Amino acid sequence: MSITATQPEAVVDLIDSSQAPLLARPYYQDSDPGPIVAALAHVPEILDSAMPFLAAMYGPSALPKRLKEIVIVRTSAHLECRYCIESHSVAALDAGLTRSEIMLLRNLCNPAQGLPGGDETAEPMLMAWIDAVAGATGSVPKDIASGLRECFSPAEIVELTLLIGVTMMLNRFCTALGLASSNETLERLRAEDLL
Amino acid sequence: MSQVAEAIASGALPGRLWMYSNYHCNLACSYCLIESAPQAAKRELPAELMFSLARDARELGFTSLGITGGEPFLLPHLPDTIERLAEILPVIVLTNGTLFTKERLRRVQRFAGKPVALQISLDSPDAIVNDTMRGPHNFRKVIEAIPALVEGGVQVRIASTVEEMDDADMVRLCALHRELGVPDEDHVVRPIVRRGRAVDSAMGVEAQVADLPPELTVSADGAFWSPFGPTVHSGALDTDLLVSRTTSPLQKPAGILLGLVQGRPAGEDSKLGIK
Repeated sequence: MSITATQPEAVVDLIDSSQAPLLARPYYQDSDPGPIVAALAHVPEILDSAMPFLAAMYGPSALPKRLKEIVIVRTSAHLECRYCIESHSVAALDAGLTRSEIMLLRNLCNPAQGLPGGDETAEPMLMAWIDAVAGATGSVPKDIASGLRECFSPAEIVELTLLIGVTMMLNRFCTALGLASSNETLERLRAEDLL
Repeated sequence: MSQVAEAIASGALPGRLWMYSNYHCNLACSYCLIESAPQAAKRELPAELMFSLARDARELGFTSLGITGGEPFLLPHLPDTIERLAEILPVIVLTNGTLFTKERLRRVQRFAGKPVALQISLDSPDAIVNDTMRGPHNFRKVIEAIPALVEGGVQVRIASTVEEMDDADMVRLCALHRELGVPDEDHVVRPIVRRGRAVDSAMGVEAQVADLPPELTVSADGAFWSPFGPTVHSGALDTDLLVSRTTSPLQKPAGILLGLVQGRPAGEDSKLGIK
């Protein structure tokens, strides 16, 4: 997915630290919490429930960071979520993916080709799975599911699939509300020729 | 006994549930927390929701209800609503006291002998000073209404919200409330809190969350830490004291408020005297 120069316009005011509700204050303590928190802070009890869940999904877990970022960037490319593509292009760089790998994911490359620096069997299967889950509707083709089972354990499949689903949810949330990347993210993307 | 009930019983949580019945008012006081005025959006709390919240409050161990606004008596149904609420828990209603026409006085006479108190604002013993902050003819209307209410057997409290007042004026104010039939124990003096319209005029004291008792407060916008929470400045709701958007069932915001209180670091109690 290509990214245009104009940043989206937020649909709701984002809550700043001076107006952070009581339950949201911990997220504002150290730094700018980002637009997802600043939007969710409008409904602090939802924020309070959502953030531990999102931290469990997007934070360190049994899955390698590289695989998680493959899921997030490719899913976000399917749903054309500008905010998630931008922010997770940076996270993908930090997870060790190269610029060319990130661009292949963003451009929804043929899964069979895999990624240059990755596993030649598991990653193509995962990308096919992402395409079937996030890029299509209805049931997932049996051959893709069986291919995935050959490469990943049930626990990994569950977590990867939930990660796709949660990312799709956030993709629509961020896109619908017009959430914009920080200047820091945009500068990093510019420096890495990823804008 | 629920954790909320235990906290109320132990004094960790105040026992009063506040409800903002509405946000509009016939006055536009210079220090109004919610920038209320006749043209302000009403944002009413439906009567049925107030009854439901009151029942939840009683079940949770709350011991009384507070109704504030806006001017609650702008709502035609309010006397009936208060009467029904008072069957659930004792009620105090904050009013500017300027709407007590003969007809409205007749309608509130039914509060006599019931667990209902009206808390009326009177900020100075001097009409000019009082009316400068609260609006023309406010002083006259209030000092006419209070004796009529008291004579009718309605319990009346007077709240004086003051920026600064010297001892001589305080003596005169206390003499006035006694003359109006309101005893010392029903006279509350409190500072202006610098929220809402008071921010623009730099009036009052800056209050942090630790300065405000955690009195669960429900408005059309959600549940808040205190009745000083759902304030409005420059037309926008303040969210810094927002507890939750969910207000019903009351168990939800009450539980969150309790969690916040229990998570609050120990420290000296505030001495700002906000009540």
